Amino acid sequence: MNRTLPLVFSSGRPVAFVALLWVLSIGPFAIETADAQFPEKPITLITPFAAGGSSDLTARVFTTYLSQYLGQPMLIKLVPGQAGQKGTLEATQAAPDGYTLVFMDNYRDQLHQYTFRNDYYDTNEDLVAVARINYGQIGIIVRTDGPYSSWDQLETEARENPGQLRLSHSGLWAALFVPAMQIMQNMDLRIRMVPYRGGGPAKAALMAGDVAFSMAFPATIAADIEANLIRVLATAGPERMLEGVPSFVEIGLPPSTGYIHRIIMAPTGVPADRLVILRQAFAQLQTDESYLAAMRRLGENTEYLDGADYEAVRIEQSREYRELVQAIAGQ
Amino acid sequence: MIESLLAGVDVALRVDTFIWISGGLLLGMLMGALPGFTTSMGMSVLVPISFLVGDPLIGIPFLIGVYKGGIYGGSVPAILISMPGTGASIATVFDGHALTKKGKSRKALEMSLFASAISDFLSDIFTLVMIIPVAAIVLGFGPPEIAAVMFLSLVIIAVTATGPVIKGLIMLCLGVWVGFVGADPFSAMARYSFGTSELYDGFHLIPILIGLFALPEIFNAVKEGDMPGARVASFVGERLRLDELKNSLRTIFRSTLIGTGIGVIPGLGQPIAAMMGYIAAKNSSEHPETYGEGELDGVAGAEAANNAVNGPTMVPLLTLGIPGDAVTALLLGAFMMQGLRPGPTLLTSSGDIVFGILIAMVLANILFVAIGYLTIPFFARVVTIKKSLLIPVTIMLAFAGTYLARGNPFDIVTLIGFGLIGIAARQAKFDVAPMVMGFILGRELEYSFGQTLALAGDNWLRFALTERLGMTAVVLATPIIGVLLGRRMSHFRQRALAREAGQAA
Repeated sequence: MNRTLPLVFSSGRPVAFVALLWVLSIGPFAIETADAQFPEKPITLITPFAAGGSSDLTARVFTTYLSQYLGQPMLIKLVPGQAGQKGTLEATQAAPDGYTLVFMDNYRDQLHQYTFRNDYYDTNEDLVAVARINYGQIGIIVRTDGPYSSWDQLETEARENPGQLRLSHSGLWAALFVPAMQIMQNMDLRIRMVPYRGGGPAKAALMAGDVAFSMAFPATIAADIEANLIRVLATAGPERMLEGVPSFVEIGLPPSTGYIHRIIMAPTGVPADRLVILRQAFAQLQTDESYLAAMRRLGENTEYLDGADYEAVRIEQSREYRELVQAIAGQ
Repeated sequence: MIESLLAGVDVALRVDTFIWISGGLLLGMLMGALPGFTTSMGMSVLVPISFLVGDPLIGIPFLIGVYKGGIYGGSVPAILISMPGTGASIATVFDGHALTKKGKSRKALEMSLFASAISDFLSDIFTLVMIIPVAAIVLGFGPPEIAAVMFLSLVIIAVTATGPVIKGLIMLCLGVWVGFVGADPFSAMARYSFGTSELYDGFHLIPILIGLFALPEIFNAVKEGDMPGARVASFVGERLRLDELKNSLRTIFRSTLIGTGIGVIPGLGQPIAAMMGYIAAKNSSEHPETYGEGELDGVAGAEAANNAVNGPTMVPLLTLGIPGDAVTALLLGAFMMQGLRPGPTLLTSSGDIVFGILIAMVLANILFVAIGYLTIPFFARVVTIKKSLLIPVTIMLAFAGTYLARGNPFDIVTLIGFGLIGIAARQAKFDVAPMVMGFILGRELEYSFGQTLALAGDNWLRFALTERLGMTAVVLATPIIGVLLGRRMSHFRQRALAREAGQAA
């Protein structure tokens, strides 16, 4: 031993010696935990929405802050089209290596399987939840200078004139349309549904007096409420969100009506350890003050839910939406 | 109001604001000049930068710079290689590329720059001064009025197309029909998709634009079979002369008015403004028959109109919190991230910052001219590249730009298909512009017409005569305007034919 060590040094190959040490000590460890280094390249987040929508913006916010917890940047790839089907299809066909994720909401995940049938993918079999970023609760809105000051008045009017009252929504089977259908179904009302390209134009139609009422997430109309132009008649959920405004449960709707969940999904088959790393990164994001502040400024909550817990929510949604679509089709 | 305007001047005059605007303008011009990379895509990529900057007077003017630069940048490939990267630069191709072929690419680019900057400047001042009164008008334009305006625009485009009216109408209808391919916007039923998932979403605009305008141009260049070493032009050509700019000032002012009016109404947008600005310039000219053969005024008419849209789109955004398109939707997010909530209370709660941003927007136009002017020599040099090198690069840009737009391999098939249609149309002397406009406007018309029917319900006659008189008036006036314009155009066409016959004899 006395002779060998100086030999290695004196032979002028200290580099080789260090390399040998490295291979002996760290090498096996590194090989053993190769997957602990995931992710070793940027992760692509497919967003099946057009540039500039609220989902696009939310995605740009959390991807900006998430990279420091992942150790790699998360890049957004916009794949809009076919009510979100195109982007979803691309995600389901991607390799399940954790490097391709997709940004969705509960309607695209669980409702559209009953309304826009396709032969190419099944979200239940092909996608697994990584995290729920947050959720939004919808509200029923009218103009403050309009004839309705309470939901009861509006409901009476709609019942007396079936199919005459107009409601503006943001597109077929999307965030404003689904709760409106659920209201019609649960209360046996008939409302004339007028489509608009997104929540902004739908709100403009209400303010112009083209429609009697609409739907909106209270955060997006905070300025209009403040200026006393728009009145909220009821908000989703069992509890009241705004002072003096009844909840959906109080006006006779099921507690789950009118929720939109923004979720990150991965193709089924992602290695379990990688899924854990991804889920942990989103959990750590919830402690990031700059992220929380940025979401607050957008008027979004940060009611995060771990992907494993969200899986249970999906099953419940699937049942509820199937019943809704069957009931409408049965009429 | 006046106090916050003055306070706005104070906050806008900052060196760092101007540096960031300049950066935004340059980035926007480069992105706009890249076919397939639309302004909204560029802004979407750059919007996180404005989140991180954390100062509304840096982050938002930066994005506005990208917006302005991007809309102008689209005219560069349109003029140089007949490749409109976005719908906003369709009308620029007609005379812009004809000028390039005459060796006047530099003149065309400079006219495009000055027309864009002047109209942008004027429409920004209009926005600044008129933001409060105009906000009241915006809500008067609902789907019925938009449908009526779309209908009128389609008729105007058909009758003013080059060549016989019947050819224009055929191409227009073909374009409208191509727009019908894919899921219908109301019930999502597939139309003409033959059960394929690719066609279910319909055709995308960018491969149609590049296919119809750029591929026939490339085909012609290849067919001509040039000698080795031939160039489009041996030099970048003369600069724009002051008297040429003066001659086009009338057109620039007219197009500014048209663009500003269209910009105020959410949902119409730059492509229709540019086309209407071009048509108005052609129609009021003494010699409309020379349009399309390299008329500087045609470039001015189109480019002034599309940039004049930019400023006024801020009106519905700032006063009502309603974004009219993807670009303003991104700006909405950028405002909110800075703690400013666009809507009815914004001007009273943070008037100084808003006016500061608007004033920075006006002043940005001076930087716009300066930066644009510096980049033109680089862009213009494209025409001096050997054709044997330029043509392959153009082909590569056409395909890469198409793929870049949304990363869908099927768009390459669309590109080639519409390229063949474009080549055939050119051989048969059909103008492809009405087809593209039919494609763009047909979809919009269908959607707003469907919305109108949903609003009207069963009793549409009562709806048209009591609730929506404005819509009814425009619809009734449309055939009259169409016939009058058509007569005027055919008069000029005959004059042009007579002149040609005279020359031949």
